[in-house]
Amino acid sequence: METRGRMTIEARGDALVLAGAIDESAALHELIGRAAAGRLVLDLGGITFINSLGVRDWIRMQAAAQKASLSVELRRVAEPLVHQLNMIIATRGNARVTSFFAPYACDACGREESLLIDALASAAGLAKLEAPAMTCPECGAQMAFNDFPERYFSFLSS
Amino acid sequence: MPSILIVHPDRKTQRVVQRILGVTGYRVDIADDLEQAIRLLANVAPVLVVVDGSAVTSPRAVELFTEARARGAEACMTLLGAADTAKMSSILALGAVTNLLVHPMPVLAEELTITVQKVIKNDLFGAEKYLLWGTELEETMITRGSQRPMLVAELSEQVRSRGQSARVASMAMLVADELISNAIHNAPVDAAGASYRKDLPRDRELELDERHRVRMRWGCDARYLAIEITDYFGSLDRDTILNALSRNDVRESGGGAGMGVALAYRSCDHLVFNLAPGRRTEIVALIDVRHPPTERLNASSYNVFVERA
Repeated sequence: METRGRMTIEARGDALVLAGAIDESAALHELIGRAAAGRLVLDLGGITFINSLGVRDWIRMQAAAQKASLSVELRRVAEPLVHQLNMIIATRGNARVTSFFAPYACDACGREESLLIDALASAAGLAKLEAPAMTCPECGAQMAFNDFPERYFSFLSS
Repeated sequence: MPSILIVHPDRKTQRVVQRILGVTGYRVDIADDLEQAIRLLANVAPVLVVVDGSAVTSPRAVELFTEARARGAEACMTLLGAADTAKMSSILALGAVTNLLVHPMPVLAEELTITVQKVIKNDLFGAEKYLLWGTELEETMITRGSQRPMLVAELSEQVRSRGQSARVASMAMLVADELISNAIHNAPVDAAGASYRKDLPRDRELELDERHRVRMRWGCDARYLAIEITDYFGSLDRDTILNALSRNDVRESGGGAGMGVALAYRSCDHLVFNLAPGRRTEIVALIDVRHPPTERLNASSYNVFVERA
């Protein structure tokens, strides 16, 4: 039987790379102690799942980071976490999202893909709720953003 | 003779709904507005009141629902079209709408018919009612708390292996995890109604005996992925559900009890609560696998059914 396993943390460059499930076993508060030079940089591309207990833990971690006056940067935020950032305002804290994954679909071949958006490079378009253009990795056609921009990008507006 | 009362301002929709509900064999009464419906209630005893989403946030709607329930109505349903989805939080806050059907088309005939048949026949249980004939449901009886993360991961893997998208698998994981967690930790109550497992750490192992076991079933008919979770306490009640669904502080703060149900609701297209008080609670989450997110409304349906003794 497949197990979803505990969340893993690996230091890579200036970031802590998180992978797996954020749930009751995640112990996110431990991240605060691993901040460097007043910065906590989290690479969240490997997060596969977050449940309500994980959300609570995430909010506590954000609050602790604020209390410690840490600057929090979120990179490569995976879709499950983006959904929570959109649904629950408190999950956003004071964090700055610099890149995130978003759903795209190809009208030509039907492929669906989660693609990385650089929130800084695409900031002007995202402010107008315009998803950046993406090319289908399978057939080369233009892919369409596969959600409502006003819903999916709402976490960027806080 | 029991009847169904429809309140809708549009004549064409009135006729469509009347045709759908007419097949039940019950008399269907139509009102153009809430005033007319309240007057009609003096002479009819509907088992079901159906009010259009455009009218349901009016103060008179609560009066209608209250009066209808006093006269024996089993359910107060609202049909919510694309133009009215912004009213979702107001409708939930009313606490009077037991059944909400969000419909991108003029009327979602299948779901409306299923809802009405369940109310009328008092035959509530089973995800099969929402799936096409022949759809197989996988079943697991959960006998240990530690099975939850494994089952959720396995569900995701199976959903993906059957050709569904990562988005659908992700929604299924969240819904299953929250509902199983609630069934294991929140459903068990003692004779005084106190929930004695709700504060136990969720990662602590719990053996679930015959009384505490939880059943999970799931299946997909290429229209919906259905996930059904059952506990055998039947402690969840209608008001608790409606409070959980309407919680605005989930969005603001993410905290407190009921967050699991609220998150599950926001992560599926239709959440159905089948309640047999004191005996069992069955929750069915339906995830639409036909339409991409861009073709669906930004709101979800819910139904709360309470079995008649």
